[in-house]
Amino acid sequence: MTSSPSKNGTGMIEFRGVNKWFGALNVLRDITLSVEPREVVVVCGPSGSGKSTLIRCINGLETIKDGDLVVDGQRLGDPATNMTRLRTEIGFVFQSFNLYPHKTALENVTLAPIHVRKIPRTEAEQAGRELLAKVGLADKVDAYPAQLSGGQQQRVAIARCLGMRPKIMLFDEPTSALDPEMISEVLDVMVAVAEEGMTMMVVTHEMGFARKVAQRVVFMDAGAIVESGTPDEFFSDPKTDRSRAFLSRILRH
Amino acid sequence: MIWQQLQSLAGSYPLALRGLGMTVVLSLISLVLGTLLGFGLGILRTGGNRLISAAIGAWVDLIRGTPFLVQIFLIFFILPEFGIELDAFTAGIIALTNLAACFICEIVVAGIRSVPTGQVEAALASGLSRWQRMRQVVLPQAMRIVLPPLVGQYVLLIKDSSVVSAIGLTDLTRVGWLVVQRVPNGLLVFFLVGVGYFIVCYPLIMLARRLERRMGAAHGEVQL
Repeated sequence: MTSSPSKNGTGMIEFRGVNKWFGALNVLRDITLSVEPREVVVVCGPSGSGKSTLIRCINGLETIKDGDLVVDGQRLGDPATNMTRLRTEIGFVFQSFNLYPHKTALENVTLAPIHVRKIPRTEAEQAGRELLAKVGLADKVDAYPAQLSGGQQQRVAIARCLGMRPKIMLFDEPTSALDPEMISEVLDVMVAVAEEGMTMMVVTHEMGFARKVAQRVVFMDAGAIVESGTPDEFFSDPKTDRSRAFLSRILRH
Repeated sequence: MIWQQLQSLAGSYPLALRGLGMTVVLSLISLVLGTLLGFGLGILRTGGNRLISAAIGAWVDLIRGTPFLVQIFLIFFILPEFGIELDAFTAGIIALTNLAACFICEIVVAGIRSVPTGQVEAALASGLSRWQRMRQVVLPQAMRIVLPPLVGQYVLLIKDSSVVSAIGLTDLTRVGWLVVQRVPNGLLVFFLVGVGYFIVCYPLIMLARRLERRMGAAHGEVQL
């Protein structure tokens, strides 16, 4: 069985010697990383270090060149793996929200449950309203994305992912496009999701979030994982020059 | 003199109505079929299959790069050489539908490409199938870009339909040719033919302009 997890790991997400190139540029170098169920991993590093590419590979928005990437027991790129089905188990939150502008908040949340999960409309709408209430937007169910602030849009985007009841949630710099005063409302929702036991990989520089819920911080530079440790270890005692330089840059602000 | 000619023209009005009817029916059928086909081709063209995409692209270029009169002659006079007999009406419908489909395909492709990749990625990430992504996410947003030029294209195609008179279909233009043989005042006759086309096209021109304004306004509101 090619799709079973390896003997030495039962990770929800397993990278083994993964490499990826954009032309001549080696954007992911020998990535080996295992994320356990219910684990929250924060990925940080300078811009262009490959952290977005790393999590985009997990749901197949990017393809890997060599190495193995096994997600929820299924090997990506394996003909036996149904990528569309696997994606229904993986929520992805984008930096730029990517809400559907022609659909209301509720329709954004219910679209995939109705069409992919085949949940009856009334049931999906009921669940959608509950999810929007959970992210603090009970009064915005009928609003269009253009009528919402960035922070509200991102919370709808998180609710849209949760509507599929995924096993994994991936966040690609979810607060980077937000005005400062809206960052905490989004982080609060993410903390709540983490505390419910979701397996999460979060690309972010929000150190407060990492300290609060992450079990592990992974530091990337130039396509490689340079350092990995608990948030306390990483922030108070970074082991490499590159991570020290990076931390001094982001903490100065 | 003019008065006599007008009187004699008035007697031709049943023929004129028939011609107008033919122009409208021909345009209507080929615009509906051409729109369906054009959307299909546009969707296929932006799909993943390079071979299909290249084939459609080549066909569209070929049709856009040759005179419609030549196309309709090929269909009506050359196809019978290969054993495909078509009556003038069918040949006209086929030629016009094909022409419409090719122009509309280009408009649809431009609309689909205008939808930000982030939208497709969001739809992909939530597990929507290719058709669901197209139907639920891409096409509704592409329509905003597609609609104004689509209606504008309809106007051009209705006028292009005058070319079918060359294979003997009694449309508005051919009625002009027939009448002018009896009433030798080409200026007057073809002025009236022009008025006939204008009456059909003008509402569409107005519609295209309104859509453009509305879509432009919507564009301001929608933040992508």
